[in-house]
Amino acid sequence: MEAMAEIDVSRIVYFDHAATSWPKPDVVIEAMERSLVTAGGNPGRGAHTLAVAASRTILEARGAVAGLLGIAEPRNLVFTAGCTEGLNVAIKGLVRPGDRVVVSSMEHNAVARPLNLLAASGVIVDVVTADEHGCVDADAMEHAVAERETRAVICQHASNVTGAIQPVGDLADIAHDAGAVLIVDGAQATGHLRVDIGALAADIYVSSGHKGLLGPQGVGLLYLSSDVDPDELVQGGSGGSSEEPMQPRLRPDRYEAGTSNTPGIAGLGAAAHYLAEHGDALRTLEAELTAQLHEGLLGIEGLRVLGPPPGVERVPVVSVVHDRIDGDRIAFELDRNYGIAVRAGLHCAPWAHDTIGTLDTGAVRFGIGYGLTAGDVDTVLSALREICA
Amino acid sequence: MSEPALRPYVVFGFESTHDALTAESVLAAGGLPLTVMPTPKSLGALCGIALRIAETDVPAAEKTMMRAGIVWTASARILDR
Repeated sequence: MEAMAEIDVSRIVYFDHAATSWPKPDVVIEAMERSLVTAGGNPGRGAHTLAVAASRTILEARGAVAGLLGIAEPRNLVFTAGCTEGLNVAIKGLVRPGDRVVVSSMEHNAVARPLNLLAASGVIVDVVTADEHGCVDADAMEHAVAERETRAVICQHASNVTGAIQPVGDLADIAHDAGAVLIVDGAQATGHLRVDIGALAADIYVSSGHKGLLGPQGVGLLYLSSDVDPDELVQGGSGGSSEEPMQPRLRPDRYEAGTSNTPGIAGLGAAAHYLAEHGDALRTLEAELTAQLHEGLLGIEGLRVLGPPPGVERVPVVSVVHDRIDGDRIAFELDRNYGIAVRAGLHCAPWAHDTIGTLDTGAVRFGIGYGLTAGDVDTVLSALREICA
Repeated sequence: MSEPALRPYVVFGFESTHDALTAESVLAAGGLPLTVMPTPKSLGALCGIALRIAETDVPAAEKTMMRAGIVWTASARILDR
């Protein structure tokens, strides 16, 4: 096998935070190492020193993440392997054949594909089309919900393609007035926005740990209000009630069968502490850099900037299409010639690209986050001017 | 060397590790000494972690846990070193 060359990360200008944040704060890496070295037992299994230390690691992290996100009862916060798993639990655990779901057209495949599968087994899926910027219209969603009985309303908190922030607070009222539950995909919102899940009144809020929350890959979160009771998708060991033939219903154990990703959860917990202290400053910087990038992109001939116009709040995601250069070519040249990491293509969101008219072209996405500076934005803009000249 | 004398304790069992360690955290914050131990079989089918508390501290411990909304599912008096 050919040996992999050592990567000089010092030359990388990382604008792919919407896919995964990089680098991570030092405290995240340190917490993961500490977990492996001094708390390396199996959490919830046994009472020896290292097992209890692992259990304490998870308890502490659960409290930290719950506190950061406005979740009053930490046991309602489930750690998953990622946002996709959480969305699958939320959707497949609640929706039954014959049920109806109202969903926005901006959803990621983590929502679209489970729904496409369920539609084949008799679930009615009604998709409400967002506008050309990728903004979901609460009135249109309300109109759709009112048409007939609805089990669930599903919407992202923010778009991974256009950065549009969706009116999920309004959607909670709309869903509840109709006797439906609201499921929110918060993958692009947590960390980048000050998210208070309790205030949003979402019944289910799902997110990723490795994007704006600055945790490692392999850990996500699933918030379930006390009013919802989805089936668990996986059954197995829970560390207790071992003689019971069925999965215990107690949270969070019910949804966390098998050994947890303790190092990942430790990292996410440390990231939550970091964001509790530095999150406001980071969000202010991200907004400034996003505005700087957005304005600069508008001045480059041939580029069309997708999403809400300047001045409208968005998460730190900006995507562009060039009128003659393919997105994959732009991304390739940025990487090879300038060390700039971006993502081209459909971003696992064909519904969203279809909505905004870029299904055939895809787009080049710039995701801003931790570690970037105004100088990095200047570097990107300078590189793009050369590529697009 | 002589064996330490047996002392009376109460062992509290919980439905889950989350509950047991939340109780540990609350009791420690309240300055109540405790020991984490495997759940004795005599407490029945419970999670793997139990909390052992000196019998003299039990009234204060129960009050602290109840105030925090923590439910223990079983308890048993034991003599231990």
